[in-house]
Amino acid sequence: MSAPTLSVVGVHKAYGGIVALAGVDLTVEPGTIVGLLGPNGAGKTTLVSIVAGLRRPDAGSVHVGGIDVTREPRRAQRAIGLAPQETGVYLPLSVRDNLSFFAGLAGLRRGARLARIEETAAALGLTALLHRRAGELSGGERRRLHAAIALVHQPALVLLDEPTVGADVQTRTEILELVRGVAAAGSAVVYSTHYLHEIEELDADIAFIDRGRIVARGALSELLGVHGTSALELTFTGPVPGAVLGPDAVVLGRTVRIPTGDPAHGAAQVLTRLGDASSTLESIEIVRPSLEAVFLSVTGREYAEDAA
Amino acid sequence: MSSLQRVGVLLRHEVRLAARDPLPAVVLILFPIVTMAFLEPAFKPALVQAGHVDASGAEQVVPGQATMSAFFVVSLVTFGFFSEYTWATWDRLRASQATSFEIVLGKALPRLVMVVLQFCVIFAFGALVFDLVVQGDAVALLPLVLVFSACLVALGIAITALCPTAQQAQACAIVGMVLFGAIGGALVPFDVLPDWARAIAPVTPTYWAMRGFETVILDGEGIGALALPVAVLAAMTVTCAVVALIRLRFDDHKVGWA
Repeated sequence: MSAPTLSVVGVHKAYGGIVALAGVDLTVEPGTIVGLLGPNGAGKTTLVSIVAGLRRPDAGSVHVGGIDVTREPRRAQRAIGLAPQETGVYLPLSVRDNLSFFAGLAGLRRGARLARIEETAAALGLTALLHRRAGELSGGERRRLHAAIALVHQPALVLLDEPTVGADVQTRTEILELVRGVAAAGSAVVYSTHYLHEIEELDADIAFIDRGRIVARGALSELLGVHGTSALELTFTGPVPGAVLGPDAVVLGRTVRIPTGDPAHGAAQVLTRLGDASSTLESIEIVRPSLEAVFLSVTGREYAEDAA
Repeated sequence: MSSLQRVGVLLRHEVRLAARDPLPAVVLILFPIVTMAFLEPAFKPALVQAGHVDASGAEQVVPGQATMSAFFVVSLVTFGFFSEYTWATWDRLRASQATSFEIVLGKALPRLVMVVLQFCVIFAFGALVFDLVVQGDAVALLPLVLVFSACLVALGIAITALCPTAQQAQACAIVGMVLFGAIGGALVPFDVLPDWARAIAPVTPTYWAMRGFETVILDGEGIGALALPVAVLAAMTVTCAVVALIRLRFDDHKVGWA
């Protein structure tokens, strides 16, 4: 059996006394997308940096395509395409020159380089901008170029660290589409983000990272099945009637959320309990399990996307 | 892909970046030409007083201004590194297959060529327009120019290694240019400097460069007489390179231009 594209085993990293990673294990197979999810400071960027060979782990090992990143970083980096969190492009150079430089450094010969530049630019809607200086691009266009640089040499492992931060809707859509395409072509993708809905859109495998540890790992459907719980959300015209309040109910103003494993049966029970008070019921909704619920279940804390 | 090929890619990239903003290279050459034009008459009396009765002033002002303005390359070297932080491309570069040595070489070589060319153009201009006459072997100037240019490039890398911010590096480069230029005898004739300045002048690369130029241009000597200046400049180059080697940490968090 061939080695996984990425194998991270027992990686620890601390900055001074602050532990950034506390024993991370992660395996990514070819052709799969792993959404590295977690709030700000969870350790996502540190993990991506270590995998990319930019930082050395204090302990543990990282192998890319079977090559030890710590011992042979240059060999391993042949197989890696990195888009760091901060947009990194040469502002005085054209889009084509930016792509050509990194493709050249990756060893692509002239013919292959030109072809890949055209392909990557087309995939990210940059074809018409190839001659434009990066400094003259809009924020979204620059973000697309940033992602394109990571992909131009067709790496076996693509590391995208918060690729859609600050991106407009079109850019975001194109990046997500491209990520799916890259995985379909056989590359492994580690997609770090704190936007849960992006991972749901990508239908990626998930690695929840929190406080330097992978706290949940699996396919989206698996995690939702194990950790996610449906809920009923009832909104009233006035105060929430006491009849519906149970030990798990969470009241937010005129709305109450009641977790339930069987939403249809639960709704019938609640309406029965309400009795005459049902006249003040404005709406009732079934809230399907989400990644927020998974995060809450495995960490005991609310997932604060805005604070991330 | 071989290391040589990667260095080639890096060199082409640096040249492309420089071509997008040619002003620094133009300033490097035009600045000394302009200053030579109005400083030449002022240097003649000092040279005559020092015993060079036939001197025109060009013998001091041409190498002096070329040496002074060559110091701009120190600033350009630091800029080459700190721009990577400004554009947030440093990590990308580090995550590429290029080694640290290849990256440094890719940034240093084009600037070394630039400053050597600057010397050639200034001296040619000095000979054609300012009647610079080299009494000794003009070819002997080449190793002196080469080792002095290498020293300045190495100094730029060492300053980059030691300074955490682009502003600090720029300040060091400018202070170095003016201070070393003045004390080393490039800005004003060495003989008119106060005793204390002349005593400390040998710690500056400018002093050894100017001493070498004077030996060939005014004293009519050849390459044999340049052994000491070239050796000292080579030692200074190695010292700067060692400082860079010890202190240049590729994973340091430096601050580029805001």
